[in-house]
Amino acid sequence: MSAGATDSQVGSQVGVKLVSHFATVEQQKRAAVLGMWAWLLTELLLFAGLFLTALILRLTHPEAVQAAARHLKFWIGATNTVVLIGSSLTMSGAIQLSRLGWQRGMVRFMLATAALGTLFLALKGYEYYADYQEHMMPFLSDRPYALKDSPPSRLFVNLYYVATSLHGLHLMTGITILLAMTWQASRPGFLKQHQNRIEIFGLYWHFIDLIWILAFPILYVLNR
Amino acid sequence: MFGTGDERRILWRHMREPVLTACALLVMLGINVALGATLPFPHVWIVELLVASAMVVTILLFSMEVRHEPPLVKLFAGIGFFWVGILFAMTLVDYLSRP
Repeated sequence: MSAGATDSQVGSQVGVKLVSHFATVEQQKRAAVLGMWAWLLTELLLFAGLFLTALILRLTHPEAVQAAARHLKFWIGATNTVVLIGSSLTMSGAIQLSRLGWQRGMVRFMLATAALGTLFLALKGYEYYADYQEHMMPFLSDRPYALKDSPPSRLFVNLYYVATSLHGLHLMTGITILLAMTWQASRPGFLKQHQNRIEIFGLYWHFIDLIWILAFPILYVLNR
Repeated sequence: MFGTGDERRILWRHMREPVLTACALLVMLGINVALGATLPFPHVWIVELLVASAMVVTILLFSMEVRHEPPLVKLFAGIGFFWVGILFAMTLVDYLSRP
């Protein structure tokens, strides 16, 4: 159903198909939300370990970390944060329109979310390229490291690549799932049977945003 | 896409909160970026971390709609950050108390 349904018409157009191992649709929806949260908590602990390591490096080697952080592209990081906040807004838009049963608008919001996620990755890729040009990749054995006189800075720079590439991997996975789901969601009858898939995926997308909201200050801002 | 006045009104009613949430996040990001770019006082990192924490809470409560979830989901969401709090507190107590 495209834009045109009023709130009172939504009931028959939006729903969730009950699967056999649940007693009610409400139970099925709550189990899906709880399951996603349980998984997101494991992800939170994974990234928390990396962020904690960054803070410890800042405490134990302040000069080396500051010297390395001066090479990070602060304004690209800030721009990417704006891009992800925008993608969270479009994802929320897709969720809201899925609740209304406005399928066409929902699909457009989902495509916009995927486009913003791709823009984030493109900017991140450019940032990595600029780092490569500045010899800020200490893990490349055939390319001299710019801060070779500061061994502890290698720890921070390597951690920066691990944390941001892991986040990028999550974002790439999210974009892939989102595009597959957009294709499914564009077919007639999707919202009648699978509306909660949009909601569950939305939790994942907002969580990717949340992780970057923490990564940007911890890696880029605090160490200036 | 949303031709009639009625449709636009319905859309705005449902999109008002996400739009306001995004605006709040952008304002807080602006504060952090301004602080990071200018470094106006010595312990500015405390304010930067507080602003980042406020952004995380905003995403949890409004974007991820935790405030509308049943108590069990609220417990899950809260307990994850509680674990992270234990991890950070116990580790940093060690490092910060070393001579």
